[in-house]
Amino acid sequence: MPRLTLTHLSRSFANGTHALGDLTATIGSGAFVSLVGPSGCGKSTALRLIAGLDTPSGGAVDWDGGRPEIGFVFQEPTLMAWASAGRNAALPLELEGVPRAAAAARAAAALANVGLKGFENALPRELSGGMKMRVSIARALVGEPAALLMDEPFAALDEFTRAKINDDLLALWQAQRFTALFVTHSVFESVYLSQRILVLSGRPGHLVADIANPAPYPRDEAYRTSPEFNAIARKVLAALKAAHA
Amino acid sequence: MTDRILRIVLPLLLFAGLIWFWEWAVGYWQIKKFVLPPPSAIWTALVEDDGSLFTAAGVTLRTTVVAFALATLSGLALAALFASSRLAEAMLAPYTIILQVTPVVAIAPLVLVWVKLDNAWAAVLILAWIVAFFPVLANATAGLKATDPNLRDLFRLHNASRWQTFRRLLLPSALPYILTGLKTAGGLALIGAVVAEFAAASGASGGLAWRILESGNRLQVSKMFAALILLALMGIAIYLILSLLEWLLLRRWHGERPG
Repeated sequence: MPRLTLTHLSRSFANGTHALGDLTATIGSGAFVSLVGPSGCGKSTALRLIAGLDTPSGGAVDWDGGRPEIGFVFQEPTLMAWASAGRNAALPLELEGVPRAAAAARAAAALANVGLKGFENALPRELSGGMKMRVSIARALVGEPAALLMDEPFAALDEFTRAKINDDLLALWQAQRFTALFVTHSVFESVYLSQRILVLSGRPGHLVADIANPAPYPRDEAYRTSPEFNAIARKVLAALKAAHA
Repeated sequence: MTDRILRIVLPLLLFAGLIWFWEWAVGYWQIKKFVLPPPSAIWTALVEDDGSLFTAAGVTLRTTVVAFALATLSGLALAALFASSRLAEAMLAPYTIILQVTPVVAIAPLVLVWVKLDNAWAAVLILAWIVAFFPVLANATAGLKATDPNLRDLFRLHNASRWQTFRRLLLPSALPYILTGLKTAGGLALIGAVVAEFAAASGASGGLAWRILESGNRLQVSKMFAALILLALMGIAIYLILSLLEWLLLRRWHGERPG
């Protein structure tokens, strides 16, 4: 699986907004890395640049062995309102020309992986916010991507749903070992999920800290309140605070 | 459920009451038949029609349906062009607006001069099409542009072709807008057809508007009312058919109840 290298990545927009200043980082294959920072620090911009949805103003995004298949999860579930959960999850396969029946079977499996077994025919409006997000994750993973990019995907969910979906995401990552890049403004979510936390500050966004979290997986409820967890969270918070002092 | 029944029963009761009052009032005040005929006389004019009314209604209906179909096809095609090419939109949009804001009654004589000599029906058709075309174009263009930008990104991420993006994303997400446009266009096609028939103002076009003018000149007011009833029924039928189509197509989006 490819390693991702970001070299002096920057992005300014035509309206004068300098969203991302200078981001240099190397992300190992199969790693779970979070980008944390306040609103407007360019973390979402960085993710879009990595996905290839946007072109950098400077610097480069390099994948060893070329750009792999990428799954993307947006802040909103971003489902097609007119299509069933199954058709939504099958979309990447169908766009690649996988026959409909085969795509449907793989979509059903992907939905089962996120805890939505048997929901293939449900329409988005019949699903709760958390379930819609799960469909969105199933869609991102249906093509077995080498990298999963997530842009504040759980920000709109309630705490309980969020904790559950965090655990399910980690289980999927452990089973499938894609490279996970997770953008969030929640320090605690980033610490709980990641092996490594990139702290951005801005604007323009720039890297202010690169903090490793060596805690082993699987992580559970007990870890959320453990001293190890708190120590890392304190480090991340301190880095954010120092950047804004 | 009772609410639903009331919604149907109350207007019908009011209708029956008004008809009764009308019939009674015409007799009581001895209103002249060429000013306001009683409902019974209008009914007679309708059922004892020698065929001239229904033939004319057929002509108007045909104009309306063909104009509506042309407006739908051309409106959707142009909207698709606008959505895929900014250049085309920048170039053509001002002209579609000019066509829209210029009153059709004012364009009518010109169109009539051009095509009337050979074919009055074609002239009426063109005018009705101009009237019905704009709501289809405007709504479809708005709908095609209202697509969720994140979904567009997703299609891009998975290297969707232009056709895939159009067929699988733009068209379905524009569908509610398109159907709203069609509902407006259906009513306007009928209005456009009748206005154009009035503008043509000759028996050659053969529609209901001509029958209304003719009956007016002959003081056959009952027949005028009968023609109006036929027009109203056509308008209602068009609206109901398009509402049904909307309900059938959008059921999956909004749930069970028709809008």
